[in-house]
Amino acid sequence: MTPMDPDDWQLVARLRASDTDAFDEVYDTYRPKVFGFLLRMSRSRTVAEDLLDEAWLRLVKHASSLRPDTRIGPWLFTVARNLYWSYRRDSLVEETSAHELLSLWPSPASWPSPFDMAAAGELERRVESALSTLSPQYREVLLLVAHEGLTPTDAAAVCGIAPDALRQRLSRARAALSLKLDETPAIATLKKGYAT
Amino acid sequence: MTVDEREKDDVFDAVANLRTRDVSRRRADRLRNRCHALLQTKPEEHVTLGAMSDALLRRVIGPVLGGAWCLAYLVEIIRRAAAIHGP
Repeated sequence: MTPMDPDDWQLVARLRASDTDAFDEVYDTYRPKVFGFLLRMSRSRTVAEDLLDEAWLRLVKHASSLRPDTRIGPWLFTVARNLYWSYRRDSLVEETSAHELLSLWPSPASWPSPFDMAAAGELERRVESALSTLSPQYREVLLLVAHEGLTPTDAAAVCGIAPDALRQRLSRARAALSLKLDETPAIATLKKGYAT
Repeated sequence: MTVDEREKDDVFDAVANLRTRDVSRRRADRLRNRCHALLQTKPEEHVTLGAMSDALLRRVIGPVLGGAWCLAYLVEIIRRAAAIHGP
């Protein structure tokens, strides 16, 4: 397990004391991360918003009983992940096409030139699309490690599996995503796009 | 996969560079206010009498009644069997 940041100790201590400023710090840092994770897992904005609400309400309800060594990031992702899987079990969600995610595409970010902007937007769209066609088990490990920057050990704890099993799943997930990207001519452009 | 391998990997880069998403400002503020209100509520207030009696029913009374009913059913079956096939 990754050593705990000294700031995390203080933050947890303040959260345990129901400090609303500490809550705001955690909320502003992790809200977009947890929402992005839930959105890409559920592929539905409405579902992601509902699960996000529930995740934060759980943090608040359990704030006073958090262990002093709790690491907020992994704790929140664990709750979010469990909520997603619980939702998925309860509602027997059908796998939907990648088009649903594409419809959620926000306005383009600022890029150096209109060409870069269009190319990068297209690449990102393809990556989102390929990612959304992976199984949720593969999607979650890729998102947790590659996008959220969790260590494989932390991601394993979030997913409730052994670190070795996570590494294996991550490797398979990476290969599956690479294959999906190769099915479209995206990867070569992608390498060029992110290299610049 | 090590952190270094992760950093060098194009596929991981592609996922890492996906943009951050967020809820609307209004929704974020509404949830923040709701959480602040809950945080400022004392923990004892969360545990209501109703919740306690629910837990008691679920953990103690339910299983005890279920067990008693099963035992009575079993005794009755044995009693009737003994009446038919008895000595």
